[in-house]
Amino acid sequence: MAEKAMEAKKKGQKKSSEDYTYVGMVFHRLTRHKLAMVGAFMLIFILLFVFVGPLVWRANPNEQIEGLEGMFNVPSRAHPMGTDDYGRDVLARMFFGGRISLFIGFISAITSTLIGALVGLVAGYYGGWADDLLMRFTDAMLSIPTFPLLIALASVLGKGVWQIILVIVIFGWMVDARLVRGLVLSLKEQEYVEAAHAIGASANRIMWRHLFPNTLAVLIVSTTIGIGGAIIYEASISFLGFGVQAPFASWGNMLQNAQQFIWNSPRLIIYPGLAIFMTVLGFNFFGDGLRDAIDPKLKL
Amino acid sequence: MDNREVLVDIKNLRTFFYTEDGVVPAVDGIDLTIHRGEVVGLVGESGCGKSVTALSILRLIPNPPGKIIGGEIFFHGQDLLKKSEEEMRMIRGDKISMIFQEPMTSLNPVYTIGDQISEAITLHQRIDGAEAKKRTIEMIHLVGIPEPERRFSQYPHEMSGGMRQRVMIAMALSSNPDLLISDEATTALDVTIQAQILDLMRGLQKKLGMAILIITHNLAVVAEMAETISIAYAGKIVESASAKETFKSPRHPYTYGLLQSIPKFTEKKTNEPLPAIEGMVPSPYHMPKGCRFNPRCPFATEKCREEEPEILELTPGHLVRCFYPIES
Amino acid sequence: MRDYIIRRVLGMIPLILIVMIVSFGIFSLVPSPFAALMENPRIKKADIQRLQHAWGFDLPWYLRFFKWFSGVIRGDWGPSLLYPGSMARDVIARALPVTVRLMGIEFLVSLVIALPIGIISAVKQYSVTDYVVTVISFLGMSMPSFWLGLMMMMLFSVVLKRPDGITPLLPAGGIITPGLEDASFWVKFGDRAQYLVLPVFVLSFISIGGYARYMRSSMLEVIRQDYIRTARAKGVPERSVVNKHALRNAMIPIVTLVALSMPGIVGGAAITETIFNIPGMGRLIIAAEIKADYPTAMIGLLLISVLVIVFNLVADIVYAWVDPRIKYS
Repeated sequence: MAEKAMEAKKKGQKKSSEDYTYVGMVFHRLTRHKLAMVGAFMLIFILLFVFVGPLVWRANPNEQIEGLEGMFNVPSRAHPMGTDDYGRDVLARMFFGGRISLFIGFISAITSTLIGALVGLVAGYYGGWADDLLMRFTDAMLSIPTFPLLIALASVLGKGVWQIILVIVIFGWMVDARLVRGLVLSLKEQEYVEAAHAIGASANRIMWRHLFPNTLAVLIVSTTIGIGGAIIYEASISFLGFGVQAPFASWGNMLQNAQQFIWNSPRLIIYPGLAIFMTVLGFNFFGDGLRDAIDPKLKL
Repeated sequence: MDNREVLVDIKNLRTFFYTEDGVVPAVDGIDLTIHRGEVVGLVGESGCGKSVTALSILRLIPNPPGKIIGGEIFFHGQDLLKKSEEEMRMIRGDKISMIFQEPMTSLNPVYTIGDQISEAITLHQRIDGAEAKKRTIEMIHLVGIPEPERRFSQYPHEMSGGMRQRVMIAMALSSNPDLLISDEATTALDVTIQAQILDLMRGLQKKLGMAILIITHNLAVVAEMAETISIAYAGKIVESASAKETFKSPRHPYTYGLLQSIPKFTEKKTNEPLPAIEGMVPSPYHMPKGCRFNPRCPFATEKCREEEPEILELTPGHLVRCFYPIES
Repeated sequence: MRDYIIRRVLGMIPLILIVMIVSFGIFSLVPSPFAALMENPRIKKADIQRLQHAWGFDLPWYLRFFKWFSGVIRGDWGPSLLYPGSMARDVIARALPVTVRLMGIEFLVSLVIALPIGIISAVKQYSVTDYVVTVISFLGMSMPSFWLGLMMMMLFSVVLKRPDGITPLLPAGGIITPGLEDASFWVKFGDRAQYLVLPVFVLSFISIGGYARYMRSSMLEVIRQDYIRTARAKGVPERSVVNKHALRNAMIPIVTLVALSMPGIVGGAAITETIFNIPGMGRLIIAAEIKADYPTAMIGLLLISVLVIVFNLVADIVYAWVDPRIKYS
């Protein structure tokens, strides 16, 4: 196989699908996917903005300028994005707010995926009453409209970054659970699982060593897209006042009380909202491309 | 020589697939002739281009990524490759029909089989409604399915694989076509059902007189059914002869290898391993230079590795593509 | 079929029970539900104690659950803390139809637009149309609903004005112009419509993306199937291949999708209702939560969840009816 590839290369022929490793193939397909690359660029830009930004533009996101003249300033050299309703520098708040929003998004998405995967693995592998019980519970949770309950939970648990993560995770694991369960059910039928059974592998070993790695690809895609969803949830909860609290900024809570800004300073709505929009879009584009690259025929 | 009228004459057909990873020359110069009422077998391993040939006749090649880039397919003297899509549509299912390999997935699950067969009838014949239903039930009966009226309202998932294949045959023959193309139609069935379906096809052929193009990788199937056999390898025809000739005196090393590898019952027990053709079918992206069979051919010479042999008629009706055909 | 329906209806019951337990459970976590009331100097201590008794706060939590449970079943939902003087039941009864109407319209609009473009996208895969549809779908799925709502509000109420130069092109909130409550049907209809344009647009823009992509992938999946090749080999014209053979199969998973997106739609409606000041269930629940009217919030949540579960049941039945492969046994 490898010699054929080298031969082909020598003759100047293009590499074909047989000449790549699995990961190489995925990467190759990914880089060809236009939208995925657009998404990747957007994400790189946002990450740079959020992490490198503060090194370039050093301003305190929490420092308030007293008095009416400090509020709602138009963008100037002193404040490239203007100031908000408390006289704080918007650009600085954008940097730090972004970090928090991204952090919450990332951690929530990964945690819900892992929990969901665990539930799905157990339900799918063991079947029977465990499956029934778990799936009924999952279905019930899926029927409850997430958003009002998010607020409920937020109001009950209190406000703050970790509370939000907890809340998002509590409502985010179900999708992955169903996904993984479905996948496990079909993988279970495959011969290599039977073979592992036949040589006496324990249930645990089969689950973790054989089934889980095959769900990884799907889970990675799910996490990527989940980050976008989590960021939107955080924004929505913070918008209503339940999420990240002052003095911390998040892109979501920068939009708190945003409705009054329509009249005073529409800019304040546009900046954080646009940032959220572009970040989520980036993750969605990239996640979609990833899904296509991992298995172009996969229907998720 | 065959006195019957030439029904289908494929000349130098070339169908390529343009994929992200390169160009696949699935069919690269195939010639095939089918006479009226003749049963022709097209035999070869997976990937040799036989199914693509069949789909090319009906112009059902998905485009992208496939494209028929050359050759002619004469049907009743007219080149199918020059016809419009609308004209082809009228030929499909009416003059030329095709049945496929997977009976489990080849029928639409949300419509009854009666509806699906009737559709074929109403599309091509000027009858509809009750008349079409009557004809459908006749067809269901013709293919050997008991209780045709009851079966009419059944869904595909209520039937076994063998029965679904019979339904496919009923659909295909409903307008009495001149040619039936059977693309590995029995491959996915178990052996006893396979035999039944082949019997059915043989019987129907005698009754209705259509020509059949049997595409398969199973030599046993063509041994029973075909009058003429063409062997395909890597997108080209390497040997073509009457069935008797092919089995009695194969001239191409590939055909010879295929026949050798069939396990036989013999009087004496031997401990020798089953003879198999060395090597593997070439990757379509890396076709060998020269004769495409040369990497696996025990008789290959330098010439074989450099030049591609042309098709030669060694004896009347027996064509071979080889520089050094085996002595008969 | 009848047995199937009965079994599914019975299957709803454990779901509803779990939802009730979860709702109750979450709100029980609130440390002191009466804190807000107690701070209000105008409410007498005795009244608060009566409320506590009425809601069973003087009982251990398991008994409290049963007391609440029986109250809910009987329809006795208690007074509304959000709107003192009204009963929770009346407040909810006023809000529910508003949400149903909004969601119903949004739902129809979304499907009517999303499904055809999903189909076209699939049939013309990789074409410019497909590309544009894909990008727009992503735009919709990536926007926070409230941000889109605010932006639309800015555009149509602040920036764009009617010919008189003062009145916003589209109203920034509410559902009806004050004073028109008793007008004739058509006047009311036209009036209501202008208030619904922006909220419906916001809600549907977000969901159209998801539906269209799903329809597209379902259609693509179906078009690759063997039976489509059979249909073409039979001589079926391409238009019928798509509309008759493919579509019928591709729609089946859509039924499931629609059912599954119900909770999401309701959730999305909550925030949109809040921004556009639409007096529906979503806004009610959120307002109740913010103002610590937990009993109302719990019941509101429960009602909406039950609606979703019922809707799922309907979807299951439609699914079984449409797909002949489902066995009823």
